[in-house]
Amino acid sequence: MRYGLHNYRFEVKKFYAQSLAGAPETRLTALDNGLRVASEETGHATCTVGLWIGAGSRYESEKNNGAGFFLEHMAFKGTKKHPQTALEQEVESMGAHLSAYTSREHTAYYMKTLAKDLPKAVELLSEVVQHCSLNEADVEQQRAVVLRELEEVEGNLQEVCLDLLHATAFQGTPLSYSVLGPSSNARTLSRQDLVEYLGSHYKAPRMVLSAAGGVNHEELVGLAKTHFSGLSFEYEGDAIPVLSPCRFTGSEIRMRDDAMPLAHVAIAVEGARVGSPDIVPLMVANSIIGSYDIKSGGGKNMSSRLAAMAAEENFCESFQAFHSSYSDTGLMGMYFVTDMHHIEDMMHWSQNAWMNMCTTVTDSDVARGKKSLKASLVAQLNGTTPICDDIGRHVLNYGRRVPLAEWDARINAVTPKMVRDVCSKYIYDKCPAVAAVGPVEQLPDYNRTRASMYWLRF
Amino acid sequence: MSRCRSWSPVQRYGLAAYRRYSGSGGYPNIPLSSPLPGVPSPTFASVDGLEKSETRITTLENGLRVASQNKFGQFCTVGILVNSGSRHETKYPSGIAHFLEKLAFSSTAQYGSRDEILLTLEKHGGICDCQTSRDTTMYAISAEVKGLDTVVSLLSDAVLQPRLLDEEIEMTQMAVRFELEDLNMRPDPEPLLTEMIHAAAYRGNTVGLPRFCPGDNVDKIDQAVLHGYLRSYYCPQRMVLAGVGIEHEQLVKCARRYLLNTRPVWGEATPTDVDLSVAQYTGGIIALLVVKRCILMRGVWAQQEDDFIPFAVLNMMMGGGGSFSAGGPGKGMFTRLYLNVLNRHHWMYNATAYHHSYEDSGLLCIHASADPRQLREMVEIITREFIQMAGTPGEMELERAKTQLKSMLMMNLESRPVVFEDVGRQVLSTGKRKLPHELCALISNVTTSDIKRVTSKMLRSKPAVAALGDLTELPSFEHIQAALSSKDGRLPRTYRLFR
Repeated sequence: MRYGLHNYRFEVKKFYAQSLAGAPETRLTALDNGLRVASEETGHATCTVGLWIGAGSRYESEKNNGAGFFLEHMAFKGTKKHPQTALEQEVESMGAHLSAYTSREHTAYYMKTLAKDLPKAVELLSEVVQHCSLNEADVEQQRAVVLRELEEVEGNLQEVCLDLLHATAFQGTPLSYSVLGPSSNARTLSRQDLVEYLGSHYKAPRMVLSAAGGVNHEELVGLAKTHFSGLSFEYEGDAIPVLSPCRFTGSEIRMRDDAMPLAHVAIAVEGARVGSPDIVPLMVANSIIGSYDIKSGGGKNMSSRLAAMAAEENFCESFQAFHSSYSDTGLMGMYFVTDMHHIEDMMHWSQNAWMNMCTTVTDSDVARGKKSLKASLVAQLNGTTPICDDIGRHVLNYGRRVPLAEWDARINAVTPKMVRDVCSKYIYDKCPAVAAVGPVEQLPDYNRTRASMYWLRF
Repeated sequence: MSRCRSWSPVQRYGLAAYRRYSGSGGYPNIPLSSPLPGVPSPTFASVDGLEKSETRITTLENGLRVASQNKFGQFCTVGILVNSGSRHETKYPSGIAHFLEKLAFSSTAQYGSRDEILLTLEKHGGICDCQTSRDTTMYAISAEVKGLDTVVSLLSDAVLQPRLLDEEIEMTQMAVRFELEDLNMRPDPEPLLTEMIHAAAYRGNTVGLPRFCPGDNVDKIDQAVLHGYLRSYYCPQRMVLAGVGIEHEQLVKCARRYLLNTRPVWGEATPTDVDLSVAQYTGGIIALLVVKRCILMRGVWAQQEDDFIPFAVLNMMMGGGGSFSAGGPGKGMFTRLYLNVLNRHHWMYNATAYHHSYEDSGLLCIHASADPRQLREMVEIITREFIQMAGTPGEMELERAKTQLKSMLMMNLESRPVVFEDVGRQVLSTGKRKLPHELCALISNVTTSDIKRVTSKMLRSKPAVAALGDLTELPSFEHIQAALSSKDGRLPRTYRLFR
């Protein structure tokens, strides 16, 4: 708009932008008490509306680790106006789905429903979050459920491995806690702990009311004013919780169990924090490394080099490259599942893929990675719930919803040199964190793994 | 310790310089919390009721139907649905459908191999997939809208001109064997039970034929057999080219270009042995002895076009799921199987109602699983539930089931691939598509008398039973039949001398 010299190119860009933005605008409004309301009107007959809260296991201490998760369980057990059965019947009769999830830095309560039921949905959500009844009897009952769920999660080895990764990479800091908390806390958490947690973290400036589907923004803001104006924005004694910085420690943890059929291994370096512009080249790099699953039957003809090799030589059952970012740090890594005889090979080739990113990644690889990243970003937003989730998390992380056109521009700006530079900044010669579960005798010693984080070729 | 080394550039040049390291080449080092300058602010789409727009259908000269539904967005889903599946395999070795599913999108006349196809699709950000069921085979591609021409040409190639090379067939044989092994080893027995209940209900015909290739047929299927089958069933009158997210005229143009006069690779021949048999419900029992847990599936006959919606509502009313948790409010915790069965008998692992429907018949099943020692009680509970279905459903219960069905329908239709499948299947079976709001209206019109009518019709037919596990306590089929014809659903009393 300001660059007259680039008028023609600008015109072309505008048409491309028009065709790309085949999506409606996300509108954002803030209420007086700090609550932000964001929505995207897509014209569907259904909608998803929910509250995304900037609270999670990172805000917990060793004593109350697991409180957020416990609270999520208690949320649907009744509110002051609707006791449990009434709440459940209300939701069921609307044909709606009420769900929640807790992660390390976010908690979300959301409801999928028909668009015409938006007012009722917002009302129920406001009650669930603000006026949860938290009966003593229910707390005791849910304790058993939480313990049983903790037991079941132990069987999901992917979760176990990634939790161990966080525990070792961020050891001694709140990011090392798992979201579910230890069973000792699940046995001792009391109603008082939950009330304290609620009171110190469920504050208006840290919440976003997000909606997607057949919703009208003005109507949503009106409903928010009606139901959420009472949401507190002040802390007791002005004790605003300050996030302590979480340092990354290069380290290793192994849970060896030769009775398990497969080994699950994760290796990660410190990655980019949530708002960092480096995330885009790192995501492109992960997209080039790709992922693989033996059951998907891609065979030897996958585009990712590591995947093709894994398929041909049968190195692993599955692998994926991932990047998790938190408000001031992140984890960029790879996770793979393999049998006990191929761990060393798989680790070698994974680190080789990383070195390739840092030094010799080619133009065609980067072009392919960019294309598939753009395609996956768009493909994920398939339905009102993923869109609503995207809006909620974006507003919490970036303060605004990043439109697809901007993601497109940022991804287009990535060049092979940029991928090499950014990957070197984060990966080359850095101490990784390694977590392994299963028959891991073959996993190389940490010093060997550390030594493979650089090449002596130049 | 080696963190010292990585921090030394910082110490030498300062934090700001270190950060600029990533901003090389003129890339603005702007965090994601501020908009990127120079990006033109996008012109956003406005919603103008596109969802209510009609599905447009055109029939080409060779009988192929082209159907499309417009939807804004950068991506589209286009595919070919063929009226062919395991039910048409009466005169052929069973398992052809399974093979065709695995062989889909392999080498064709124009594309030398599957990875050439995947590479072409990658240029348009696309993915391809094939799924077969008992009566339909669906080849689908999701890609960017501007790649429509390539997509339709690829589809026509994959469906009408696959090369079916020997080495591909060999690899498919291996993949099929692997999948069969996996099915048998899985802790979740549902696919096996679905096979068994269909085999029991429609003994030896159409829908009762196995959907997964039986182990001994894996080696019998080769190119000649496949060509014979394809010649009879892959003809234009049995196909629909469906698309979501594209303009109808464009799709028709591409269809004319690539699907109108293409000779299929197995040669033109007037289809002779097309199997037009109607599904014959027989009822019966199939039991398979495995270990440990015992699972049971019971089905009863259903079907005719008007009855489909009442059966769907009935299925929603029965609901059910795993005993640990329904999954939260909204996932059916007030359905009959939860209220009457799972909440009262905590020893049951699982009780769920399923509804399978085909163009001429259907099945309503209740699947339950529990410890083998309580098999007899479990069977009795299930038969009692079936009998109670014939009673008048409560007003609130019925309303709730109808609302949940409507809401589930609309929520599923948010996703473009689901809309594509809906368009394709409806046009394939009835020649037109009922729009979502029409279906919702039909659901709202279901009354208690409709439910009673379909249930009593269903209960008059012979039941079909499939059981998997340690079956020593399983009551005999005659007893189960007697229970289902009795008034209260109880099994006849047996007196045993030795317990």
